[in-house]
Amino acid sequence: MKHLKSINKKAKMLDQATGSEELDEVVAMQTVVGCTGVTDPGWEVDPFGGLGSLCQPMESDLYGCADACWWPAQVPDTMSTHPDWSSDVAKANQDWRKLDGIFPEEDK
Amino acid sequence: MNINKPNRTSRSVLLKGGALAWAQLAALSGLLTMATVSSAGDAQQIIRDRCLSCHSETGDRQAPFSRISQQRKTPEGWEMTLQRMQAIRGLKISPQEKRTLIKYLSDTQGLAPAETEGVRYVLEQNRNAVESLENQAIAGKCSVCHSGARVALQRRSEPEWEKLVHFHMAQFPTIELLAGARDHDWFEQTINEIVPELANSYPLNSTQWSDWKTVKKQPLTGSWRAVGWLPEKGEYEARFTVTALDSDYYNLDIRGKYADGSPLSGTGRALVYTGYEWRSNVTINGIKMRQVFAASEDGLAMEGRMFLRSANELGGAVRAVRESPDRSHILSISPSYLKQGERSVINIIGSRLYGKIALGHDLKVLKILSRSADRVSVLAEATEGASLGKHPVSIGSANGGYLAVYDRLARVEVTPTESIARVGGNGGKLAKQKVAYRAVGYAAGNDGQPGTEDDLRLGYMPAHWSLKAFDEVAEHDKDLLFAGTINSVTGVFIPGDAGPNPARKMSTNNVGQLAVVATVKDGNQQVSGDNHLLVTVPTFMFPVIQ
Repeated sequence: MKHLKSINKKAKMLDQATGSEELDEVVAMQTVVGCTGVTDPGWEVDPFGGLGSLCQPMESDLYGCADACWWPAQVPDTMSTHPDWSSDVAKANQDWRKLDGIFPEEDK
Repeated sequence: MNINKPNRTSRSVLLKGGALAWAQLAALSGLLTMATVSSAGDAQQIIRDRCLSCHSETGDRQAPFSRISQQRKTPEGWEMTLQRMQAIRGLKISPQEKRTLIKYLSDTQGLAPAETEGVRYVLEQNRNAVESLENQAIAGKCSVCHSGARVALQRRSEPEWEKLVHFHMAQFPTIELLAGARDHDWFEQTINEIVPELANSYPLNSTQWSDWKTVKKQPLTGSWRAVGWLPEKGEYEARFTVTALDSDYYNLDIRGKYADGSPLSGTGRALVYTGYEWRSNVTINGIKMRQVFAASEDGLAMEGRMFLRSANELGGAVRAVRESPDRSHILSISPSYLKQGERSVINIIGSRLYGKIALGHDLKVLKILSRSADRVSVLAEATEGASLGKHPVSIGSANGGYLAVYDRLARVEVTPTESIARVGGNGGKLAKQKVAYRAVGYAAGNDGQPGTEDDLRLGYMPAHWSLKAFDEVAEHDKDLLFAGTINSVTGVFIPGDAGPNPARKMSTNNVGQLAVVATVKDGNQQVSGDNHLLVTVPTFMFPVIQ
């Protein structure tokens, strides 16, 4: 962040969140199991434990993140593991109802 | 760095499930449909037939297969491993072979009971556990993305922990670009600093495991008395009749009743892994449920969680004891509190409840309302001057539990204290993730100050449930209007619909920060407590261990 200057409120919040001391606090805090909050932004929560800095609505920017393995424990990563997950849904913000989860195989 | 190429043909084994096809714990669930007892030789032959195109035989009888023999995991952990091998490594294996391997590997390379303590919540599918791994360095690396318990429930040699880091780097190459990773040499630091900590905290060889291997495992057949709680239905008592179908494989018959008197009955099958990991699929009153219990080392008790297979966030704790002519138990006392100077019906549930009923000093049994070996119902009274605090209860030789005598309800705690719900439904494929709450009452204790260490826990109390905005931002964003509703009687929160909502600024999802409020009556006063509920977006990943 050395060469970047935050110019709006959200950028300043993120700037603060990536300061090492604050980050340690976030990492060290107790978390509800399985939630990710310290990727920037997190999936369930933002670095402040809130929702204000998340991508909203999440469908609008979903693929930009799934492509880059950004939240691989919450969103199927289409880079390595689940390349076809969203292949039938060109626009997530319009056809989000068609997006399914990745479930384990149910053996018969 | 070598990025693994996706294997498109083998990906088909991963289901695109649909909201109604919640298939968590799938192979383990499937395992329960048939007897699966196979010899170690059978299992090792499956490994030779299916795994040696990548793995190799070592020639060491104690650790016969490369990599595989250098790890120990829970049944769910081994299931995840096999599913990953199918999904991205091209493993071809039949469901029966997979079941055999999960059983064999869990039995021979599992975790000792002591090694799962404190992190069983992921096996029990508890969605609202608050994690706090002892090793903060490991927590900081691993639970950034997934549960820390997923790691804490594995045991590996140091080279295997190192390979796990390599796997993450290759499979998720942007891992080193995340916040908290890109400001340092993530890979080098993880290899050099975290791997030794993992190997030290979660070693392949442990005293607990070597000790557990020598313990004679007890068959879990017999009659079990159980108590538990389920959302919307409440507390229940039951008898589990367990009969053996094969080694470690059981038939289960459940008969009991809920606190409101309505019957509870069902049947199911159970398989026991590693000598104590009880997994069963049961159908109770037509509803499919799953039990994840741990049997005690002596095989006389079981504890865990039972939950809906269609919505595993909806479930509750279960406690069971094996019945025996020479043992008696008190399993629950409900309600578990009695106010000074008041009288109340107290139900004591257990096994072989014979003999004198003793509620402790200053407490009188005014009348025995009903009595059986399983359940004693009394009208009890606490004198005006009854001493405040926990009064041990006994019936004959049966002990366990207490009645909390209190003067005034001082505070109410909402459990789970931190909670998460996920929007869903609305024509989409993913179900809403709900939350079921309970209220716990406390008296102030000797110091007269609620919220201090000496508060007296009174137990679960009936409450009226409501919601409020968690903070100013939530108020401004009208989260209360969009994020969901709570049933005022049952305390079950149902989140809002999935999808962008044009009625909100920027078409924001129906997410929100709420406080769940429980209001409990205590005489003429009302006491409220609240907690934090984060209503957030769905997850698309449903691994066996979060």
